[in-house]
Amino acid sequence: MIFFLILLILMFGALVIQHFIGPLPMLGCRLLLMQMLMLYGAIALPLHGMLVVTFIGGLMWDALQAQQIDGAYQISMGWSVAFYMGLGTIMAGFRPLFLRGRWEVHCLLTGVLTAAIPLAEFIMVTVRTEPVQWIFDKSVAWRIGGAGLIATLLSPLLFFVLNYLAVLTGYDPQPERGTKPTIR
Amino acid sequence: MWRSRLNYIIGGAGVVLLLAALWFFSNPLRSQRVQAGFLGMIAPFLKQGSSLQRYYVTKKEGLKKLEDLEKEVIQLRVVNKEMSATNQALRGMETENNRLRNALGYRERSVFQLMPARIIARDASTWYQKVIIDRGSEELIEPDQAVLTESGLVGKTTNLISAHTAQVILITDENCRVSASIEGTREQGIVKGERATKATLPKIGLGFLSKQAALRPGLTVYTSGVGGVFPSGIELGKIETFGLRELDAYATVKPSVDLTTIEDVFVVVSDTK
Repeated sequence: MIFFLILLILMFGALVIQHFIGPLPMLGCRLLLMQMLMLYGAIALPLHGMLVVTFIGGLMWDALQAQQIDGAYQISMGWSVAFYMGLGTIMAGFRPLFLRGRWEVHCLLTGVLTAAIPLAEFIMVTVRTEPVQWIFDKSVAWRIGGAGLIATLLSPLLFFVLNYLAVLTGYDPQPERGTKPTIR
Repeated sequence: MWRSRLNYIIGGAGVVLLLAALWFFSNPLRSQRVQAGFLGMIAPFLKQGSSLQRYYVTKKEGLKKLEDLEKEVIQLRVVNKEMSATNQALRGMETENNRLRNALGYRERSVFQLMPARIIARDASTWYQKVIIDRGSEELIEPDQAVLTESGLVGKTTNLISAHTAQVILITDENCRVSASIEGTREQGIVKGERATKATLPKIGLGFLSKQAALRPGLTVYTSGVGGVFPSGIELGKIETFGLRELDAYATVKPSVDLTTIEDVFVVVSDTK
């Protein structure tokens, strides 16, 4: 419970920090720190924890990003909540492996799912902008892929720090460390 | 067995929660209230972060010597006197202009009232170009008010306004459209940002120009005042390239304000005397 609350506070802090980290020079991609913390929460916490973390993550993101144009929302609020819950569910699917002390796949998955966030936003913005124009050039690709790449590179460090923090607060995110998988 | 049943219950509760959230946010007014509330909640942290960032930048640049500061103060006083004199003269011309407009039966031209504001945070999203300023509804900030600097137009306020903070959409955002006119011509067009320009060199596009418009690079683009959001005559930028499209002509414009580094802006809070 303490770790869960700490994770929520960290997510809020990461959202604040994200406002002061500009886009990466030349590439234009962003460090999606809050989303990375949320994805960690999705594997480190049980199902109900994952749902709450993704719900709050999506809500906070939408509260700052949802934009009204001519009185109507371009992407309505709550959309990120649904999408983040979906991403959290995918991440939670790999939780049994994480519980046994593995994290390599999860780091890669964090990168892929983090890249999926700007990609989904791009698709939504494109569909909701009149006239619909699919301009998927190099700069768009870098903004999407770059976010995933940064997340992949940073996630091992982030996972290590958060795992350590979890243990410090009395929550073991990998209680089956060292055990072998059983075939059911 | 009980564990998998529990997971189904939790999963079901999650779906119900999601549907409830989607229903709740289907009303734009409720969404706007939640957004304003959250902006108000996060604002003190953003302000603190902004102060820290400024402190760090000042430290990095190093403290100025007393003599340098004195020189700067003298220079600023001279500039201030010059600007006051110019302003005085312009006020006189404005009165004269309005009197002549009245004589011709035109509507009296409105006057800016500027509210100084500081940018406390830049947008964290990938596809939008927005900033947050430290002025809100308590300081008479309302949606769709023009935001500018001494160099030109910055953008306009959005619907996201809390008591002491407000969001500003920049002219480099594709959702910020400004009607524009071009120096020395009768051409008018619409200026609009691009979704994914290079972060270091944001450009804006000027579309809906007539195909006969032979615009050359270097011409200044101003707001035309059509639409009522942006007052006319505010500089937008300079034309860099010009080309023809199937139905219209198109120009790329380099904004006159460096939107990646600006820190202080003015909001046009009222356009009446």
